[in-house]
Amino acid sequence: MNYFLNLVTSGLVIGALYGLVAMGFAIVYRATGMVNFAQGEVMMLVAYTAFSLTTIPGLPFALLLPLVLAASVLIGLVIERVFIRPMLGEPMFSRVMVTIGLAVVIRSTVILIWGVEPAAFPRPFGSEPLRFWGLALYPGQIFAVVSLALLCAGMAVFFRRSRIGIAMRATSNNETTALLMGIDVRRISAIAWALSAVFAAFAGLSFCLMFSLEPEISQMGLRGFPATILGGLDSVVGGALGGLIIGVVENLAGGYLGRGLKEIAGFVLIVAVLMVRPYGLFGQREIERV
Amino acid sequence: MRSRTARTSTAQLVALTDHAAPWGWAGAALVAAACAPLLLGAFGLNLLISIYVLGIGVLGLNLLSGVAGQISLGHAGFLLIGAYAQAILTTTYKLPTLPSIALAGLVAAAASLVVGVPSLRLKGLYLAITTLAFTFIVRHVVLFAEGLTRGSEGMPVEPLAVAGFSFKGDQRFYYAALAMLVLFVLVTLNLMRTRIGRAWLAVRDHDIAARAMGIDLTRYKLLAFMVSAFYAGVAGAMVALQTRFINVDTFSVLVSIEALAMVIVGGMGRVHGALLGTALIVLLPETLSFVFALGGDGLKTLMADRIYEVKGLMYGVVILLFLRLEPEGLAGVWRKVKRYWVQWPLSQ
Repeated sequence: MNYFLNLVTSGLVIGALYGLVAMGFAIVYRATGMVNFAQGEVMMLVAYTAFSLTTIPGLPFALLLPLVLAASVLIGLVIERVFIRPMLGEPMFSRVMVTIGLAVVIRSTVILIWGVEPAAFPRPFGSEPLRFWGLALYPGQIFAVVSLALLCAGMAVFFRRSRIGIAMRATSNNETTALLMGIDVRRISAIAWALSAVFAAFAGLSFCLMFSLEPEISQMGLRGFPATILGGLDSVVGGALGGLIIGVVENLAGGYLGRGLKEIAGFVLIVAVLMVRPYGLFGQREIERV
Repeated sequence: MRSRTARTSTAQLVALTDHAAPWGWAGAALVAAACAPLLLGAFGLNLLISIYVLGIGVLGLNLLSGVAGQISLGHAGFLLIGAYAQAILTTTYKLPTLPSIALAGLVAAAASLVVGVPSLRLKGLYLAITTLAFTFIVRHVVLFAEGLTRGSEGMPVEPLAVAGFSFKGDQRFYYAALAMLVLFVLVTLNLMRTRIGRAWLAVRDHDIAARAMGIDLTRYKLLAFMVSAFYAGVAGAMVALQTRFINVDTFSVLVSIEALAMVIVGGMGRVHGALLGTALIVLLPETLSFVFALGGDGLKTLMADRIYEVKGLMYGVVILLFLRLEPEGLAGVWRKVKRYWVQWPLSQ
């Protein structure tokens, strides 16, 4: 029983990380109708930038977080302006391929600049595990879970209550109509990319606080896909839930079914789920006109 | 040179070519390819073999993504299946090499049903991600089915031999690869002018509309996946025969992106485009390392230490540039050049 509980807990923790990645995917999909295949690479870029910021002597963590967030917003805006906006109006295939090209470019550039060797990321919350009812959690893991919970709640309110959130929903529903209603669609797209980079920042920081800074961090983008798909590409909160489910399933598969299955359990699960529900668990069914 | 021809009947539309000029171009290219071993050293020859062999796989991906409109990020998986099928059939089961190439293609085609069946319900991005999942699953199976694939150790591959004649050695294998490519180009061109090829085009343009016109979506989408996977399986088998040793890293996930880059750079849905794109992407790292070598020792060591990243950066930049500046790819460039010369001096 204790083994099971430990598997579930660490699954939820890694699932929180997937959830953060998945929410980053979903927010771009919501506003622009495209999948950003470079999400993992944005996360990598933000994490390495954060690492460079921590090397500034005497910088407190309280200041590091806002700096990293500002950097991530900047990165998101630059990507949107330079690579995404010129492709507006092109076929979806080309637009998605741009993000794939971008992913390769960012990963290679980051490795060329910072190298492939893993680096130890500082531990501002200490490295002693905290104990809750017999379960040990590291501060980095708590950071991931807490960020997921806060961002998730924030997003739910953002999409229901705030003007920009509602405008974003309108844009994803129908770009032309939104434009006619006086919504600046380009600004919405820029905001979505910036927000998604902020999610990438939280995911990247969580990864660095839990593990270490290494190029494998970009793999988290790919590994977050099952969560995104499970929740439904267009559901931000669904992505968070999908992440938690995938994390637990992966851990249980790795713990009970055998070695190596951990890495692909999520992918097997979504292939099965998509056969039954092609738009994910919480995704909206698209109705098309010929 | 011609730029366009008015077509007035269906027979003209489906003809392999309506003019003698393309035959001339094709013949010239074939003669040049046949004479290449006389001029090139082992290194150049191996590059050409890579272009031919990968060209087969890219033709297949082009049929699936360019002609039938189904994005696949899973072609690395099909290549891997083909390569391992070839290795297992010839080393473990001692089958003759030529039939096992066809068998490798069939094994990949059968495996494609794993993504083909979900593809009936999935569209666009959901499909792309499922095919990506497929690559991960294939890698996992190869790594952990140790009894069959020897896991991470990799497998040796027997050289190609047909009826006692061995194609060992670069020159001989070069002609085998060339023959295989010519065969697949002819098959592709003919496939595209049959009902199947035209049905795929209709599915690409709008699948629901295609269904309303009497095209059986289940059948043609599955067929597109199976045919494309067959091409990739054969290409994988040929790569295995070329390198004579394979392991799970022979085809990493980057290969799927590389293959898509080849299709995009060449021009979606065009056969000559697929071949031009393959040639460009294969030759680009070599050209780049040549330029870097001229640029001094610093750049040279950078190229040597970080070859993987430099290559990745280059693929990415090439994809971005083509999508932005020439969405029709090299096939589009070729068309524009032709138009320019035909309409000269009035061209604009």
